[in-house]
Amino acid sequence: MSRIKAICCNYTLSVEPDALKSAGLVPEDVEFERLPCTGRLEVPELLDAFTQGAAAVFVVGCELDKCHNLSGSRRASKRVAQAKKILEELDMDPGLVEMFFAGRGETEPVVEAARLMAARAARAKKAQ
Amino acid sequence: MIIAERKKLGELLEMVKGCRRLLVLGCRGCVAVCSAGGDKEVSVLASAIRLGLSRQGKEIEIEERTLVRQCDPEYIDPLNEDASDFDAVLSMACGVGVNFIADRCGKVNVLPALDTTFYGANLSSGEWKEMCAGCGACVLHLTGGLCPVARCAKSLSNGPCGGSQNGRCEIHPDVSCIWQQIYDKLSGLNRSDEMKNIMPMRDWTSAGHGGPRRRIREDLLP
Repeated sequence: MSRIKAICCNYTLSVEPDALKSAGLVPEDVEFERLPCTGRLEVPELLDAFTQGAAAVFVVGCELDKCHNLSGSRRASKRVAQAKKILEELDMDPGLVEMFFAGRGETEPVVEAARLMAARAARAKKAQ
Repeated sequence: MIIAERKKLGELLEMVKGCRRLLVLGCRGCVAVCSAGGDKEVSVLASAIRLGLSRQGKEIEIEERTLVRQCDPEYIDPLNEDASDFDAVLSMACGVGVNFIADRCGKVNVLPALDTTFYGANLSSGEWKEMCAGCGACVLHLTGGLCPVARCAKSLSNGPCGGSQNGRCEIHPDVSCIWQQIYDKLSGLNRSDEMKNIMPMRDWTSAGHGGPRRRIREDLLP
């Protein structure tokens, strides 16, 4: 398992992850998973990523009022909020799981999210 | 329905810390409807326990299962055959399910994953409110269908109390005074005069203070 897990919908990951990595835009240890829609995401998937070794997990869905499937990214943000509460209960930093929103075909928000989460993971590792 | 909520993960991890094999057992009855112990909640709790124990350097094998109900023998008796080899069964049913498994499955070490809280109704998605105390002696025919036992902070039989202000409860100012609501309801039904009748001192023997209650319908007995 990579240190950072990224879960993006079909519309927020328009560039191939390998291209982002080879261009040096996102860290090498970010593993991307593409879902048809982030509304499909369930809390166990977020938690299991940590169990399998991820240091941070983030989700990128469509902008709230522009989701291709109307409310998919809103559902995903609620699941992320639930996962945050569980991390808190387990004395983990809730900031290690995060929801981001991006416009269709925009790569920059995904890149920024990856960098932010990599920084959070590094800080968490340092604090251990 | 019976309303319940998951115990804190810290408490649950302490309960299962010695387990190598754990069955997380949901119920598709009331606790599934109130989103505390159905299939989805089983899946979330199993993942949370795996994560919590892995952070403690412990390994655990967790099986996830959900029964139609945990308050009927036909669903839980099979646990005697296939659940006794688990170190524990973490039941996500209400307290009834946990007790019933404990009663009927001698070799099953059953643990409660939920705190059972009240009998309530679904106000909107994600919000439940207590409506009944299960006291065994309904007075709803006298109160316009609104229960003063469950919904008055003091369970008054003759209200409102002197602390009711502007239709609000003095104990919880964000809650409507149920006796004000009873008055409004009876007034709307042209029955407000009935509030002048003093309800006699309540007999609480039916409310469970004399041990577990039991109901028998002889025509249904085997």
